[in-house]
Amino acid sequence: MTAVVQQVQDIFAGRRLASIGLSWLILILIVAIAAPLIAPFDPYEIDPIARLSPPGWPHLFGTDHFGRDTFSRAIYGARMTVLIGSGSVIVALLTGGLIGMLSAYFTRAGNVLMRGVDVLMAFPALLLALVLITLLERSVVNTIIVIGIVYATTTARILYGMTLKLKREVFVDAAICSGAGHGSILFRHILPNLLSPLLVQASFIFAFAQLQAAALDFLGLGLPAEVPSWGNMLAEERIYITRAPWLLLFPGALIILSVFSMNLVGDAMRDSIDPRFKDDIAGV
Amino acid sequence: MPLLEVDNLEIAIAMRGQLLPVVRGISFSVDEGETLGIVGESGCGKSLTSLAIMGLLDGTPVRITGGDIRFEGQDLRQLNRRERRAIMGSRMAMIFQEPMTSLNPVYRIGDQIVENLRQHQKISQKAARARAIELLELVRIPEPQQRVDSYPHQMSGGQRQRVMIAMALSCDPKLLIADEPTTALDVTVQKEVLDLMADLQERMGTAIVLISHDLGVIAETCDKVAVMYRGKIAEAAPTDDLFARLAHPYTRGLLNSIPVVDRDVEWLEAIPGRVPGIDEDIEGCAFHPRCPRAQDICRRNEPKQHRIGNEHTSHCHFAEEAAP
Repeated sequence: MTAVVQQVQDIFAGRRLASIGLSWLILILIVAIAAPLIAPFDPYEIDPIARLSPPGWPHLFGTDHFGRDTFSRAIYGARMTVLIGSGSVIVALLTGGLIGMLSAYFTRAGNVLMRGVDVLMAFPALLLALVLITLLERSVVNTIIVIGIVYATTTARILYGMTLKLKREVFVDAAICSGAGHGSILFRHILPNLLSPLLVQASFIFAFAQLQAAALDFLGLGLPAEVPSWGNMLAEERIYITRAPWLLLFPGALIILSVFSMNLVGDAMRDSIDPRFKDDIAGV
Repeated sequence: MPLLEVDNLEIAIAMRGQLLPVVRGISFSVDEGETLGIVGESGCGKSLTSLAIMGLLDGTPVRITGGDIRFEGQDLRQLNRRERRAIMGSRMAMIFQEPMTSLNPVYRIGDQIVENLRQHQKISQKAARARAIELLELVRIPEPQQRVDSYPHQMSGGQRQRVMIAMALSCDPKLLIADEPTTALDVTVQKEVLDLMADLQERMGTAIVLISHDLGVIAETCDKVAVMYRGKIAEAAPTDDLFARLAHPYTRGLLNSIPVVDRDVEWLEAIPGRVPGIDEDIEGCAFHPRCPRAQDICRRNEPKQHRIGNEHTSHCHFAEEAAP
């Protein structure tokens, strides 16, 4: 544990902007976990009398056109942010990572698999997401799956290239010589060498998943409409932009801040593992 | 029965739909506890031969096109993957030229030795670790108790090569293939590693196939020598016989290009030219374009094997005449 803390310190030391980004992400995480404790109102509670009230007391961020408390919905929206982000990362890394690694290792099957990946990559990310989501129902799980698949393609490409290189390393030959089987070579000898790039990839997927999810929500194809997410809040209240601009200001700002923070953190992590900036690759 | 027997092995590289022969029918054998040196210039096929024995040619454009490789009487080419894996690392092991990259950078060296041990033996984690420390001590790594938890990048090239040797010897193999184990090391470390290998061989009775381009290294460590040129064995003999009577101009050329300390020489005699490319066709003896004694017959006919001594053979038309 102390080693992890030490490493985080190493990465963020001297990077003020990235540290602020990390702090913001930690705050989002805490808020997401403790949402029921922090939110002053039930995010689903409708109060028609107070509808479209401006920011103030007791409604810090005002209320939407159903009279729901925007602050509480924004706090519950953090849950969706974390859920969609981590869910998409897991789906993308598991499917994309496996496809990439196996394709590079078993070249014959890989040629077929990677051409499939190429086909998926030929579509713009959002278009691919739209196509996939129209085949499925609107739900939290399906949104995660769709976004995960979209980013699985880039993950597969990256891991494909890196595995191709790694499997020609002498230590892999040495492993074969010591009688290691395919599974052991792939997962015990090659995979640990891929952890750093995977981590960086994860941080960027996390960020892009937010944008993608917000875009899907905005188009009415993401999470079910009643679920409080920042993208849904934007989508629902966009017609009130002249009467109640705060309804868009707060979720919009939250999305921007979060995605920006994740990118900052991702950049910092990438820099820290880039061998050009580092003289040893200790303790990966 | 010899421990390892390579019989008429042929290896070719698939290029642009063609199979270009690289190793053109070589045969040799290694008995238990014996050291065979295979020597030759870069590109003569010595490394490919070792990779073929270890079965490391899968997934490359290089394939074995003929011949047999028998280990303890078993034809290695007939074994399936599982049977092969049972032999590799336990009864047959290999160390590589680049000690800098032959250890996995993300694991502690102790864990890598432990993994190799547990792959082949029913042994507890704790016992395997104790054995790893023992092995590190055996290969003369100082403070093995601490070093067992080092990462490869924390060790020098010589130390890493010794760790590789420890790993290779962890399961008491019958045969160790060493592909230029000292080429990447500086001369003093080179000597230490060679001494270590010789010492361990004496203690454990492991047979070694030592591949090198350095005739000096071979002379010092090997019981017998096979000199390879362009995918064939030019001359083969017990080490003493070979140096007593060089029966191939190529071997003589190799020897002449080594500086000698106690003789004052202005110029070292180099072998003219280079190893011909694998796609070049040469009629007659493959060495004739570079041979100082080449005659008409060398340009026309490929030399047959000439027997000079009991176990001393040479592929030169003038083998019998090429007296010391």
